[in-house]
Amino acid sequence: MTALAHKKYSVIPGFSLAIGFTVLYLSLIVLIPLSATFLKSLSLGSEHFWEAVTSPRVLASYRLSFGASLLAAAINVVFGLLVAWVLVRYRFPGKRLVDALVDLPFALPTAVAGIALAAVYSRNGWIGHSLEAFGIKVAYTPLGVLVALTFIGLPFVVRTVQPILEDFDGELEEAAASLGASRLQTFLRVIFPSLWPALLTGFTLAFARAVGEYGSVIFIAGNRPMVSEITPLLIITKLEQYDYAGATAIAVSMLVISFTLLLVINGLQWWSHSRRSASASSGGHEPVVDKPGFARAHARPNPAAPIAERP
Amino acid sequence: MSIAISNIVKTFGGFTALKGVSLEVEAGELVALLGPSGCGKTTLLRIIAGLDAADSGTILFDGEDATRRHVGERQVGFVFQHYALFRHMTVFENIAFGLRVRPRAQRPAEKEIQRKVHDLLSLVQLDWLAQRYPAQLSGGQRQRIALARALAVEPKVLLLDEPFGALDAKVRKDLRRWLRRLHDELHVTSVFVTHDQEEALEVADRIVVLNQGQIEQIGTPDEVYDHPATPFVYQFLGDVNLFHGRVHEDQAHIGEAELKARGQLNAGASATIFYVRPHELEVLRRPDGSQAVRAWVRDVRRVGSVIRLQLERLDGHGTLEAEMPRERYEDEVHAVQKGEQVFVRPKNMRVFSEHHHGSGVKD
Repeated sequence: MTALAHKKYSVIPGFSLAIGFTVLYLSLIVLIPLSATFLKSLSLGSEHFWEAVTSPRVLASYRLSFGASLLAAAINVVFGLLVAWVLVRYRFPGKRLVDALVDLPFALPTAVAGIALAAVYSRNGWIGHSLEAFGIKVAYTPLGVLVALTFIGLPFVVRTVQPILEDFDGELEEAAASLGASRLQTFLRVIFPSLWPALLTGFTLAFARAVGEYGSVIFIAGNRPMVSEITPLLIITKLEQYDYAGATAIAVSMLVISFTLLLVINGLQWWSHSRRSASASSGGHEPVVDKPGFARAHARPNPAAPIAERP
Repeated sequence: MSIAISNIVKTFGGFTALKGVSLEVEAGELVALLGPSGCGKTTLLRIIAGLDAADSGTILFDGEDATRRHVGERQVGFVFQHYALFRHMTVFENIAFGLRVRPRAQRPAEKEIQRKVHDLLSLVQLDWLAQRYPAQLSGGQRQRIALARALAVEPKVLLLDEPFGALDAKVRKDLRRWLRRLHDELHVTSVFVTHDQEEALEVADRIVVLNQGQIEQIGTPDEVYDHPATPFVYQFLGDVNLFHGRVHEDQAHIGEAELKARGQLNAGASATIFYVRPHELEVLRRPDGSQAVRAWVRDVRRVGSVIRLQLERLDGHGTLEAEMPRERYEDEVHAVQKGEQVFVRPKNMRVFSEHHHGSGVKD
């Protein structure tokens, strides 16, 4: 009894059990495989490791993978916001169908997406054929990689922004209008600041997905070394050549870069959040967006979902 | 600025929110739109603001047609029930918003904006909160900031939609008195919406009572309280006891009681409903001729300085509520207790004919 009396009372029981399980689970699923990767790459020795991760062909693949992923995520932020805006703000026939379509890149096996994209954008595909007339080649170029990565990243932005937009308090827009703000000013000064944390989350998720994407890209990319070869493909190539150490070395470098980028984005998000609400403990009546999470991206736009909490 | 509203009709789908409302608001007036929820008062306010468009009818601002004018060009300040403050902006930036979004040519210099915002902050007595965020303020403070934000654009008309509806009772009372003083200082034409009759009676110069999309009565607080035009207004402005009875040769017959009636009552033994406020019911310990209704005391409640008696009529015609100051309860009614029998006599009652023309009956 005395031992229990020392414990801090909490309404929600089982903290130690829960944290124990969480740590165990994360270790088994995430940490152990990752550490194994690090350990394996160590077998190369620092000189060989450095050589493996900085060879010109690998560097070119980094540029393509991270460059195209960032660009694709940025494109998705713009158009994903547009799609979410249309889905939330307007009523039109077939709206539910369009809404369901947004999820397609989630559900489609990536290889299927890749083949479909390659077929459409190749020289004798519908779109590829028309673009060829303007001298634009999509399939088997870095542009093709960008198209594939944009395709798979779209739902992340739409599904993170949609609930926030749905919960957006229309009175704020009316207040801005009554104070003489134009539509553009209202959007830039009132709506966008509320959406921006969600957009950043969507950007992060789309980016993270794009960096790791393999299946849909390799069909359309053409995989020409130094030109349209993504890093995950290089890793596969090394594995096929039984160069396990070399493969893990590239994997580790990719991991480090991704992790750093995500850390920076998270920091940005934390900064904007703390600036937004200062030390606001008791919120107003608008949704509060905090940290990114996968659960959020998959959440259907449901006002009751825990995404937008109404205090 | 004066506002002239004529024949405003507004429907939402199959529901008619406003059925041809006409109203004049004089310059510098503080008018309350009073009514139960769903009566159309907020819709009317939003139409005046330009946040909603009427299906038909016109709105004139100072004689100029403003019916089709955009909300941003009407020069109205709108205060929302839930404040609608921009939560990512500081209090200062919230108030400065209306000045910052002006076209470059009309935008005041930064110094001027600073001065103006600080003036407004001292007007609402919150200058020490300039750098806080809305989430850090209490409800009453938020509403005052919302008011300052609306005043920043120097509106010709101030429109307030249940401005104190989301606040607790004490803050609400303080704030509405403060609003009245503020209006006396600024004299900006103001229209506010409320469902709280006490608020309307205390704050407004004139009250517009709305019910089911129509105006029931327009008048000063005294007029609508003392001379309600319709049974609805009478009932909405306070608690009420109903007596079913007949009027016969200047005599009001209620059950077995007979009351002398003064004033013009329709002759003939027509069935009538008499309306009596709880404080206009006289409660007697002893019978007083035949001019009283007999009842027994079901409950005695002390609400601060007043006593409320729940009475059940002995003739089985329902319950009554009487209200009196504590002293009178103790001296004249001898602190009557639960279960005892009393005699009830209306000191003042009101009769509404079919056409809703109210007339007083005094005993």
